Formats: sequence, C-alpha cells, structure tokens
Amino acid sequence: MKTIEEALKYGQYGLYYGNRAILPFNCEILKVIIDDDIIMNFSPDSKLIYIHESANYTEIYFKQYKNLKDVVSKYEAVKLIVVEKDKDIFNFDNHIKLVIHIEDEHKLKIEKTDEDILFIE
Amino acid sequence: MKFKWIIFFIALFVYLFFLSIDFTAAQAVESHSAVDRLVNTAAGSGVNALPNPLMVIPFILLLLMIATGPLFYKHFWENHYPKISILLGLVVVVYYIFFLNNYESLLHTLTEYISFIALLSSLFVASGGILIKVDKKSTPLMNVLFLLFGAFISNIIGTTGASMLLIRPFIRMNRERIAPYHIIFFIFIVSNIGGALTPIGDPPLFLGYLSGVPFFWVIKNVWYIWLPAVLLVIAVFYFFDVNNKKDAGKVTAHSGKIQIKGTRNLIFLLIIIIAVFIDPVVFGWVPNLSPLPFGIREIVMFAVVVLSYKFADKTALTDNEFDFEPIKEVAYLFAGIFAAMIPALQLIANEAHVIGSKLNAGIFYWATGSLSAVLDNTPTYMNFLSAAMGKYALDVSLKAHVLQFVSIDEIYLKAISVAAVFFGAMTYIGNGPNFMVKSISERAGINMPSFFSYIVKYSFVVLVPVFTLVWLVFFYGKG
Repeated sequence: MKTIEEALKYGQYGLYYGNRAILPFNCEILKVIIDDDIIMNFSPDSKLIYIHESANYTEIYFKQYKNLKDVVSKYEAVKLIVVEKDKDIFNFDNHIKLVIHIEDEHKLKIEKTDEDILFIE
Repeated sequence: MKFKWIIFFIALFVYLFFLSIDFTAAQAVESHSAVDRLVNTAAGSGVNALPNPLMVIPFILLLLMIATGPLFYKHFWENHYPKISILLGLVVVVYYIFFLNNYESLLHTLTEYISFIALLSSLFVASGGILIKVDKKSTPLMNVLFLLFGAFISNIIGTTGASMLLIRPFIRMNRERIAPYHIIFFIFIVSNIGGALTPIGDPPLFLGYLSGVPFFWVIKNVWYIWLPAVLLVIAVFYFFDVNNKKDAGKVTAHSGKIQIKGTRNLIFLLIIIIAVFIDPVVFGWVPNLSPLPFGIREIVMFAVVVLSYKFADKTALTDNEFDFEPIKEVAYLFAGIFAAMIPALQLIANEAHVIGSKLNAGIFYWATGSLSAVLDNTPTYMNFLSAAMGKYALDVSLKAHVLQFVSIDEIYLKAISVAAVFFGAMTYIGNGPNFMVKSISERAGINMPSFFSYIVKYSFVVLVPVFTLVWLVFFYGKG
C-alpha cells in the first residue's frame, strides 16, 4: 500500500475510465469538489459518489457523470481533501488538499494544491 | 425518442395555431396605433400586433426551471438546460415567425442578445486570464474597502469585468473566514449596485446612452442615490463580517503584497472598454453593418474573446481554473430568456402605455425593479423608458426626443435607471455576473445558498429594506 506522500513524491499518476477515478494510494476522503458539486456525503446511499478501497488503490465513481473528461476541462481540476490512512483525521494539520487534472491516455495528474488555487475546506 | 419529439412539435404547432386565431380576433378590437408604435419601437417591432398573453407561458416555465432546476433536479438540469432553454425560446420564435409574421422583434432581440453576449464573454475571457493575488489579512474594514473599490471599478470595466477580476482575490483574501454572505454581498455590490454610475457599468444604462441619454447624465443624477445605497448595504455587510470569528486564534503570515499575473490581458480589457463606444450612433464614421444583427463593436469583442484566450498567461488560467462553462451557461440560458421574454415585454410595455398617465416615479421604480430582478434588465429599462416618454408623447427611438425627455423631467429616468441596475441583485438570474460569481465560488468549495434561500435570507432581509428606503427618500410621491 502506497501512502499519499509516497505517491506524490514519485509523481505517480492515477487513472480514469469514464466516471471511475483510480488513485494510487489508500486514504480517508473528507471532501470532493467536482465541477460545482461539493460532495461531503460518502455513505453508500450517496447519489453523487461511490468510493471503493482495494489493497493498493482507491476507486472513486462519480455517479452523476458519464465521463470525467467531459466535466473537468483543461484548466480545471477535481479537488479532494484527504488524510493518510494511519493519521488522525481530527487533526487539521493532517488534512491534505489535492488537485487532480485529467490528462490524455486515461491519466490523472495528482498534485498538492498550491496556494494560488482557490480551495476552501 | 424521435417520435416523442415529432409529437411534441405537432402539439406545439397546433397550440400556436389556436393562439394565433384567438389573438387576431382580440387585437382587431383594441388597436392603439400610437401606443403600439411606441410599444413596438421599444421591443423593436414595426408591426401593430400584440402577442397572445398565453405566450408568456414559455418564459414563466423557463424562469421556474432556472429557479428550481439547480435545487430539485440538479443533474438533469445540468445535462439538459441548453436544450430546454433553446426549446422554450423557439416556441416564441416559431410563434412570431409563423403566426405574427413579426420578424423585426426577433431581429431586434437577436441584435441585443449578440451585443449582450459579446460584452459578457469578452469581459469573462479577458479577465479570466488575469490573476490578482492580495496577500493581506482579511478584516471587516479591509473587506469594506475592497467592496467599495469593486463598486467604483465596476463603473469603469462593467459589473461583469469587475466581478470576474475581483471575486477570486476576494475569496483568497478571506479564505480563512469565508462564508456564503461574503459572496452574496459581493454580488450585491460589485456585480450589481456598484455599476449604476456610468453607461459602461451595466447594459441597460449603456442602451440608454446609445438611445440619447448623455454619458455623464447618470453619474450627475444618480450618485447621491448610489452612494447611500452602496454604503447602507456595505454597513450591513460590516455587521455580518464583524461577527464572523471563524479565524479566531489562527495565526497566518501575510506578506502584504498585491501581485498581478497576466497583465497583458489588461490591454484586452482596455480594448473592450474602447469597443463599447464603437457604434454608428456614437461616431458617424463607424460603418453600420445592418441588416446584420451585429456591428463592428461585437466583432471586436468576439476577436478579444479569441485573442485574450490564446495569448493568456497559462499559469493565470490554471490558477483561476478557467473554464468556459459559466459563460456557456449564461449564453444558453439568456438565449432562451431573450427569446421567451419578447411577448412578456411587449405586453408589459403596452399596459404601461395604456395606463401611463397614472404612473408616478414610485411605480416606475418598483415596476422596473421587480421585473429587472427576474427578467433581463436591459429590455425592461427600455420598455419603461419608452412608457415614461409616452406620458409626454415622445418616442424613445428618436435621440432628440430622449434628450428632450431628460430635460423635461429627470425623475422618471432616475427611477428607471436606479431600479434596473439595483434590483438585478435580487436573484441569481437578475444580472449576468451573478451566476458566474456563484459558479466560481462553488468550484472553490463554498456552499452557496439555493435560488430561494438567496432571495429569502438575503435579498428580502438586506436589499428590500434598502431599496424601500431609496424609494421613500427619492421617489415617493414624485412624478
């Protein structure tokens, strides 16, 4: 299992197929912003999102969209607030803000947000 | 699926056909040629025909869907709003072409729409390539100064330009204590009320200027209404902001610097401002491209859209998360709104002319305002200006008449100008930039209030008392 920090350090890409995003690490997800949807309900009955964890990656299904590429344009990103699996989610210092850019060949470029990107927790 | 559409269009055609028969009979009885001439002038029509009142249904439906779509069936609405908007607009277009044979109203509306979207899209794209970073600690006083600055600058680069340019630095500056009210007061001040001082500030004033209202008339006659209104709304904001303790205990270092990325797009903004004046009505040497539904001004503005995007600073675009979706949304929705509201505007204008002599400045203020809150404020302004001029048997299509009207009695024009601009802040659909600011804020992670919540919690509580005060002080019992 890779940590978020390891994945970011080695510049590891994620993948997407249609509305399914695959992140190359395991994590706790606290908030997701895609387009103008702010998603904070990750319960199984959520109409917007479904999250599935495998041993080495995390899958996110954006139920309301057919294809992420149609929703997230060139200069936009999917934004996530995540916490490493073994860290205390109640400590705000452990909250990591990520931006995910949609690239060609099903690749997801994952970066920590720089302070210029507007992302309110 | 195709079969459903065929059935729909047949039903639509039958519906329009029966409306047309009913209408012809009704109109034969009550024809006010002078009144109709004025009505049709305002709406750009040259024929003496009023639409059937039932033709306002597509417009009401569209407004209802814009209001309820994002609330109750968000993703259906997001996926289908372009089709719905265009379809409802087409109902009116078909009715005007095949049953009223009134092409002039449609052409006039198309011209206004192209002009509207050219200005909005050019300001949106040019300002989207500019990133302003204000690394200062946000305080209520700082925010007040920021909003005041926004109110002033919206008179120079328009409410759209100012909104696009300043909303991100405003959110960034307040990121540790941001709340929906920050955005809503920004919409109130920068996206609407602020732009009431010059014809560049808001499209209705610009159309008034093109019709013959002197450029500096607005600032000379409206500043003393504008100033207390802006200060009152900002005072309420200050009360909200001073009670916001979200950042209590947080210590963040701030450099105090203000940085601007993408400065070359400032040149494009300047070109847009200059282009506003490239009109055959303003300068005789500007070629008139009529009967084309656009002029040199619109060509320049659309060129700015292409060039300012192509040559924009890519990091500024990335940091602004630039996307065409907000302007696409405005373009589709307003295409439907512009078309669907033609009958509503013509009927309103007709009523105003019929009972024009009984209307005082207060009625003009509230009527223009309440309609500007949900309709496009530009045609609303023009129709009520036309109605007010009708009281003196003057024609809004003649520049000399407009000048004469301004010199006879300024109170009506003041009421109409102020209301058309101010009341745009009442709803998300009251003015083009409102929607864009909302969308940018949501993408930044701010949970914005719904359409109704915005009206009930903020517009009714903050704006209605201020606007009532404006009415009592400046328009009550006048005219």
